[in-house]
Order: sequence, then C-alpha cells, then structure tokens
Amino acid sequence: MKLAWRNLSNDRMRFVVTIVGIAFATFLMIFQGSLFTGFVRASSKVIDASGAELWVVPRGISCVEFGSPLPQRFRELALGVPGVASVRRLAAGYVSYQKPSGQRESVFLLGADPGNGKLPVPLLSAESGAVLTETLLVDESNADKLEVATLPLAVEVNRQRANVGGIINGFGSFLGAPYVFTGYRDAVRYVGLGTEETMFLMIQVAPGGDVETVRQALSARLPQADVVTRSEFAFRSQFFWVVKTGAGGALLTAGLLGFVVGLVIVSQNIYATTMENLEEFATLKAIGAPANFVRGVVLQQALISGAAGALIGLLATFPLVQLTLRFISWIYTPWWLPAGMIVVSLLMCALASVVSIRKVIAIEPGRVFRA
Amino acid sequence: MLNTAELKTSRTTGPLVELVKKSFTGRLQSPVAQAAMLEVQNVSVEYGAGRAMAYALEDVSVAFRPGKLTLLMGPSGSGKTTLLSVLGCLVTPNRGSVRVLGNDIAGWSESAKTELRREKIGYVFQAFRLFRALTAMENILLAMELSGRTGRQAREAAEAALLAVGLENKGHLLPKEMSGGEKQRVAIARALINDPPIILADEPTASLDSKSGNQVAELLLGLAEKQNRLVVVVSHDNRWLPLCHRKVVLQNGCLIGDDMTRNTTGKLGRVSRLSV
Repeated sequence: MKLAWRNLSNDRMRFVVTIVGIAFATFLMIFQGSLFTGFVRASSKVIDASGAELWVVPRGISCVEFGSPLPQRFRELALGVPGVASVRRLAAGYVSYQKPSGQRESVFLLGADPGNGKLPVPLLSAESGAVLTETLLVDESNADKLEVATLPLAVEVNRQRANVGGIINGFGSFLGAPYVFTGYRDAVRYVGLGTEETMFLMIQVAPGGDVETVRQALSARLPQADVVTRSEFAFRSQFFWVVKTGAGGALLTAGLLGFVVGLVIVSQNIYATTMENLEEFATLKAIGAPANFVRGVVLQQALISGAAGALIGLLATFPLVQLTLRFISWIYTPWWLPAGMIVVSLLMCALASVVSIRKVIAIEPGRVFRA
Repeated sequence: MLNTAELKTSRTTGPLVELVKKSFTGRLQSPVAQAAMLEVQNVSVEYGAGRAMAYALEDVSVAFRPGKLTLLMGPSGSGKTTLLSVLGCLVTPNRGSVRVLGNDIAGWSESAKTELRREKIGYVFQAFRLFRALTAMENILLAMELSGRTGRQAREAAEAALLAVGLENKGHLLPKEMSGGEKQRVAIARALINDPPIILADEPTASLDSKSGNQVAELLLGLAEKQNRLVVVVSHDNRWLPLCHRKVVLQNGCLIGDDMTRNTTGKLGRVSRLSV
C-alpha cells in the first residue's frame, strides 16, 4: 500500500488530475443517475399515488398522460364484480390555464374521486370527504410558473372559472406542463369528457380479497379494457416515458458517458504512472516480488485514486443536486445511488488498471541489469 | 540477526569492512560451503531469429563457490550482463543448465524462481534501482516485506542494515536526496537484508566517485571473505582486479579466461590494463 501511495503522491500533479477526472466522472454518474431515477419515479408518480390495487385503463394505453375515454358504465360493471370494494374514477387531460396576468399555460389536469390513496383531491376536510368545487391544487414547484402568489386565486381553465385553492408538494411534473389537480366532476367538465365517459378506473379490492382473482374477474367482465395491477401500470408508464420516448436513453447515455470519461482518464493516468515506474516494477520482480504483489501495487494505485476521486465527486454532488431541485423538482437521489456509484467508480478504476497490470506482468525482470 | 548496539560500538573502532564483518554475525560455513553454490553448464542464450540469430552466450560453463569475490570481465557486448542475468535466474537460457545451491532450476515455475531470487540472491545494480518514492529505510523495508517480515523487528533490522553501511542517519532520505555512493550502499543494504548467500553486482562502482567506489568495494569484498558469501561482480573497471579472488573473462559470448589469481588488498587500486 505504501509503495502504491508513494508512487501516486510522488507525482502530485498527475494524481490531482486523476482525482479530478474520477470526481467528475462520479459526479456525472450520480447526477445523471439522479435525473434518471427521478424521471423514472416521476413517470409513474400519479399511478403510485393512487393507492389502487387495480387499474382499468383503455386498451393499449401506456400512461395516464395519454389517456382516452372509457364508457362510464364500466364503473357500474366493475362495482358488480365480487371482491371489488370501491371504484374511483380519474379524468385527465391537457388544458389551457389562464394566469392572473392573462397569459396562458398548458397544464395537465387530473381529477379523481376521493379515496384512501395519496392522489391529491381538493377536499373540504379529510373527515367529510366532500370535494370543493372549481378548486385546483398546484405543486409548489410550479407555483411561480402558474403565478400563484396568494390563495385562493381566481384563474380560468379552458375558459371556465376555477380557483387555485391549495399548494401541494411531491408532484413536480417531468412533462414540461405542470400537474394540476381537481375533483373528478370538475375535471370531466374542464377536460370536456362526455357525460357517459370516464378515463381510468381505480379499483380497491375488498379486505382479504385476492387481487389476481379480482383482476381475472374484471378482465372477463370488461373485455374492451385492460385490467392491470398498479405496479404493472406503473411499469408500463415508466417503460413508455423512459424507453419509447428516448428520454431515459438520453439520461442513461450521459451517465454512461461519465463512466467512459472516468475510465479513459483513470486508464491514461494509471498507465502513464505505470510506464513512468516501469523500471521499478522490473526491479520489484527481480528482487523477488510475487506477481500478485506487483499486480496489487498497480491495483492499489487505481483504487486509491478511485476512492479519493469518488469521495470528492460525492461531496460535490449533494449540493449541486440540492441546487438543481430549484429547477428540476423531480430529480431524486436514492440512498443506494451514491453508494452504488462509488462501487462503480472503484470498479471503473480496477478496470482501468487492467492494461497497466498486463504491462507490468509482461516486464522482463532481466532488464534491471541494463543501465 | 544484526545487533544495533554492537554496531554502534564497532562503528567507531574500525573500518567499514570490519563493521560489516561484525555486523553480519551468524553466517556460518554451511556443509555445502565448498561445493559449487552457483553453476551453469553449457549455457547458450540466443537473440533474434533465423539469419539474424546471434548468441549472447554460447556454450558457457562456469561454477562459483562461496567465500570468493569473482570478477566477470570482458568488452561491451561480450555477454557479461547476460551471464549475470542467467546466474540470477532473471533470464532462462535457450540451452544448458543452471544450478543454484545444488538445484537444477530447469523446469521451475516462475513463482518458484521468484521465491529463489527473493530468498537466496541479492542484487546490486549499476543504476541502484532504488524506489524513488520511498526513503532509504522504506526501500529496505520493502525487500523485507516481500519476505514476509514486517513490524518492529523488521524496522530494527533495517536500521541495523543502514548502520552497517554507514547510513544510520540517512534512513529518512529519498534517493534523490542522496549521493550516488549513498544510494549504492542503500542498495547493498537492501540486497543483504534477507541474508542471501549469493550476491550479484552489475557495475556497482561505475556510477560512483573514487571514494564511494572504495566503500562499496570494501563492502562487497567483506561479504565474500568475512561472511562466506558468493559475490559475483561484473565490471569494466580494472581497479577491481586487485580485489577479486577470481577473474572470469568473456568475449563474444564465450568464456575465454578463468583465473584464480590473487591475494586481495581490500582497496580498489591502479593495475595494468587487463589483457583478454
């Protein structure tokens, strides 16, 4: 360990460059990972917050944001299926929101029947379950954008009267169009659904009921719709937004780029350090250092660089993610991401040392006698 | 085992060679002492291929016994360093056999040869080959670490080794902070720290001034005469001639001279030009 450390610290400038490179790579990987994770989470946020065990969705629909009408009678049909405890409706669609200044903003409006999920609904009080009419809830991350300075605030939605009655959090939109929540009946009116139409049904299974059995029964009763579990629908939505739109690919590519940049930087520097010390490695072999000892010195150099760089990258990431939250409310850094990226960084450094290790193992110890 | 207290006393009373003699106590004449400790038979080393093939060594046979300082001489390109590399198990010959301490090493694995080099052979190089990022003390400790010796006892042994080569106050210095002579003495201390019976030195005085060269020569001679080690020195330097017990001469990869000649004086001196 001492030789590895001394070899690194002997050329401080190169060591600093290596560490900065690894720190940058680690930062990029964690930051892009946070964007990716946040994006995945945000893309199924509404579904996850519903609390429903099953969803009835129009056939082939991938996500809440691109729904289409279902017949209203499906609700009554679903309620008649054994094991169904409750059926809540969800209407959603893009609407025009007129700000107090008169400017218009495209928002995604969601209106649901109240229930025991975490999907925001403007209730008079939690106990009563009564829904406030013509009332909107906006996420705090969009309050400025929607010019919500005071409450209540009179606005228009699709040229119909509405009031912003509350600020919520945790529903920052990844769409560009802010999420706005209201009651089901108002949502139907604002979105312009027909009286015989709804869009999604959120099913609560009776206590003790088997979700799969209920799902099969619902599928049999509603063959024109897809009946999926909440996790299935969430995955569908994530797959659509992350894969089909290519957005996730772009985020992952940037993260991968961080890995590659780090790998190249570390490889180059470890290789340069190894080449500079080639005669010393030959001497090590000549005086009887086992191959594993020689490998270990190179690997230790890589891992010391990796650990130092990853730590600095990690320390830089947290304040920058906090800063980014002001602009991208859905960015999310789960606890396992930094831990995982440190492991990835160390693996990256170990990988970067492979070429150098091959080089030192191939050195002839006999070269030490050449002056 | 080196005894620091004894060395500190001795350091003030005698020349460096005496110090070395006293410091490395415990090296006894082994039962194989008078047998060949290192031997090559009909060894050839080739380089190149086809028409471009040439011999670095051609059919060389020579044996070395302990307690002697043997000088390997010859003009540039004569094969001295190649022979030293073969003797040091650093190069495998194309033909012929190499016996170290009575063992034919043909067919030995790399790891076995590595262990042999680590435990039985000490190397001294013209270019010193110290690890430049490590201090003198750490260079010696590294050689000990390779033999599995670490901790306080290893440190004490390293301190004693530095004392034995007259560098007791310079253990903290990096190679770049030392003179050539000091570096070579650290290299010798490193070569001896695992108590190898065989010492191979390649032009050990070539990079040194006269005074430093004398000190190094005294050290190496002491190792052969007083400690019964086998010391092989490759050198162009004719001043080694009065020191060595035996002179082996190579030319064009072939052995052309092997003289068991002189009584040593213990100093590098002026001698007439070596005729080969």
